[in-house]
Amino acid sequence: MSRRNYLIKRVVQALFSLWIIATILFFLFRMGLPDPTAALITEGLNAEQRALIRAQFGLEDPLWKQYMLFLTNALQGEFGTSFSYRAPVAEIVWERLGNTMILMVAAITLAYAIGVPLGAWLSWRRGSLADTLGIFVGLMFRSAPMFWTGMIAILIFGVSFALFPTSGMRTLPYDATGFFDKILTLDFLWHAILPVLVVALYYLGSPLLIMRNTMLEVYGEDFIEMARAKGLPERDILYKHAARNALLPVVTQLAVTIGLAAGGQVVVEVVFSWPGLGREILNAVRTSDFPLAQASFLIMAAFVITLNLLVDFLYSTLDPRVSFR
Amino acid sequence: MRMTKLLGSTILLAATTVAFGAAAQTRVAPIEIYTTTQSYDPIRYESAYIIADAWRDLGLEVEVRPMEFSTLLDRFYTEQDFDATVLGWSGRTDRLDPQFFLGTLDSRQADPGANNPGGYANADYDALFDAQSGEFNIEARRDIVHEMQDLYKGDAPMAVLFHRDEVVGYNHTTFTNLNAMAGEGLYSEWVPMEAQPLGERATLRIGGPQEPDNLNPLASTSVWGWKWMRMYYDRLVRLSPDVEPVPWAAASVDAVDEVTIDVTLREGMNFHDGKPVTAEDVAFTFNYYMGSDYSYFNAYLAPLASVEVTGDLSVRFNLTEPSAPFATITLSQIPILPKHLWEGIENPEELTPEQIPTVGSGPFVYERYDRGEYMSLRANDAHFYKENIGVDGVEFVIYADAEGVFTGLQTGQIDMTAWRMEPGQIPLAEGNENITVVSVPDFGYFHITYNTRREPFDDRAARRALTMAMDRERMVNVLLDGRGEVGGSVVAPVNAYWHNPFVERFEYDMAAARAELEAAGYSWDSDGRLQR
Repeated sequence: MSRRNYLIKRVVQALFSLWIIATILFFLFRMGLPDPTAALITEGLNAEQRALIRAQFGLEDPLWKQYMLFLTNALQGEFGTSFSYRAPVAEIVWERLGNTMILMVAAITLAYAIGVPLGAWLSWRRGSLADTLGIFVGLMFRSAPMFWTGMIAILIFGVSFALFPTSGMRTLPYDATGFFDKILTLDFLWHAILPVLVVALYYLGSPLLIMRNTMLEVYGEDFIEMARAKGLPERDILYKHAARNALLPVVTQLAVTIGLAAGGQVVVEVVFSWPGLGREILNAVRTSDFPLAQASFLIMAAFVITLNLLVDFLYSTLDPRVSFR
Repeated sequence: MRMTKLLGSTILLAATTVAFGAAAQTRVAPIEIYTTTQSYDPIRYESAYIIADAWRDLGLEVEVRPMEFSTLLDRFYTEQDFDATVLGWSGRTDRLDPQFFLGTLDSRQADPGANNPGGYANADYDALFDAQSGEFNIEARRDIVHEMQDLYKGDAPMAVLFHRDEVVGYNHTTFTNLNAMAGEGLYSEWVPMEAQPLGERATLRIGGPQEPDNLNPLASTSVWGWKWMRMYYDRLVRLSPDVEPVPWAAASVDAVDEVTIDVTLREGMNFHDGKPVTAEDVAFTFNYYMGSDYSYFNAYLAPLASVEVTGDLSVRFNLTEPSAPFATITLSQIPILPKHLWEGIENPEELTPEQIPTVGSGPFVYERYDRGEYMSLRANDAHFYKENIGVDGVEFVIYADAEGVFTGLQTGQIDMTAWRMEPGQIPLAEGNENITVVSVPDFGYFHITYNTRREPFDDRAARRALTMAMDRERMVNVLLDGRGEVGGSVVAPVNAYWHNPFVERFEYDMAAARAELEAAGYSWDSDGRLQR
């Protein structure tokens, strides 16, 4: 199969998956979540008054009609109006997604930038104290619940030493003309340090351990023996020959991590009151805000699918042995 | 020989009793108690188990069914498909008038979706409900309200488990004169008007884990939306911190007769855009609400037939029936909207956040709302109450959870909490030298409501006995850490004027519960199971 045909086939598959996911989401929320007006009962609204609100939300229409409207709108990037905020969902989701992505991308970049070379170095020094310590630290932050690490970080650096702010992404109130205007400031950096570090420490374990273990495998390969025989310096063997060959599984892991990052780390967003998508999804599900919940999950799904697609293509570039069959 | 014979006849006698009992009586049907999940609210969850344990001791088969909150609401209110349900009503200032809570036992509210899902029906009670609603003499009304509490209590259609204390905190080094209000805590409309700054910063910072759904006065259906909007919209009447109605935008409120109320507006009031507040605006607002699809205020507007402009600053309200709560609740809840900004808007519920005219005439002026992050108001220098206001503005920092709010209070990012603190935070706050902890009794309540259409709750004696078999003292001591009060009637003790302290108490007493059941003809079978 030619590379072009393969590409087209994969894109069509991806679109089909998205449609399936959109459909499942649509019905899942309507069947699984309670009526969005149920919470209004405690506000003293009777059935008739709630029906009025349901009509405003378009929930009194037949289900197939709601579904068709949802699909045609989604195709045009329209996700309707949020039930609770009464604001366009697209606007809310894109803004929140940006906030989440900046946090996640910074954290993941940091984790991989440190984790990959550190993992390689540890494999070279395997069995040493540094190796034991490195594995321990990586595993510890990987297994510690992130809300706990976050709260400890807040307690130490936010409350006791009062070095960093404990919530939000800017000092309030702030005016920003756009996303980059918001994040390209020292104030943002100052707010981002704690949450980014907490997420990065959590993610550090994967590249560190994967890199270390793959490297150990690679060391046994003939070409390493060959390099040694040629009398290359250990440093060159490690970083130029072994590390490049050990990167493949790390790249897979990275793609999956970035794909899932769209949903954010809900706990970190909650602990640091970060106005991200994860926190918004939680609210949307809690209040049965169907349009907001559908759009958020759909965008997350689109992210994962797109990233998977990218990895497939990237794989063949990194390792020509992977074919298009 | 003689011994054996005696033993034999005893067994025979016992056997006949059992046989006779089995023929005449059947076991009482098993009961399911619906409650919230443990993660949603451990207090209601544990309460249900405490109740279930005691009911099992009475010989009933009881199962506790925790449910996701909205599903629980749906099952209870909309479908009315339950035996007994543990839920709660929140205390909101407009519910300090007894109308709302007494209405939850009115048989005309027993339809699916309405406020009396237990289906308690008592014609005398309903008649008294109408009588108090139409009684303008406040003392005469109180007598009726007391009689109603006495009347329903004996029938035990539900039990008020307890009233929880709202425990909130503020930083006493930055602001002073923060007086908590029953049901509202510190985040009342009065605190920003009364607070006095101690330091250089005169902007009061409030922090909370919840934010408004939206700030559209014709779409918001949450307490959080209205708590904020109340600060920049004036109402004709305001409820004082002691919850007495005081004329606010109104200079006077006069009942001409039982169904006619004349209101004269205060002179010289202006909206934040400089246009004067006139009788036209008031009449427009009430008519606009009545003609809209917005149902949040429908209950308040129900007794209103029409509003007429009778002068530049005077309006007349014509009611369909005498309504005592009209002057207290309705006039204190409906904001005055500027006619010139709203009259052209056809479908106000569809406004996007940027399109909403946030112009009121209140003591504070709307500045901004950044979803998920921040809201702010500044003091209105032209307002008639300006001289009493010490702050130059109010800010609200939106946190993701109560933990964030508390950290904000500890680190001085905020001056007060908008919502109750978590039990674990209270001792920490009490140990912090900058923080004052305030405890205010709530007049909302947690309750267990019986489905009076179903066995065994269709029987008054069974309801009474099961209500006695309920250790509410233990719930308060263990589940609330002693921060609360055992429930008396639906009108809370803190609502002293309307509360009847002399109603039947239903103290925890298993022996009395058994006696009550026995007297009503119940008995226990050989397995100890209750039968009737």
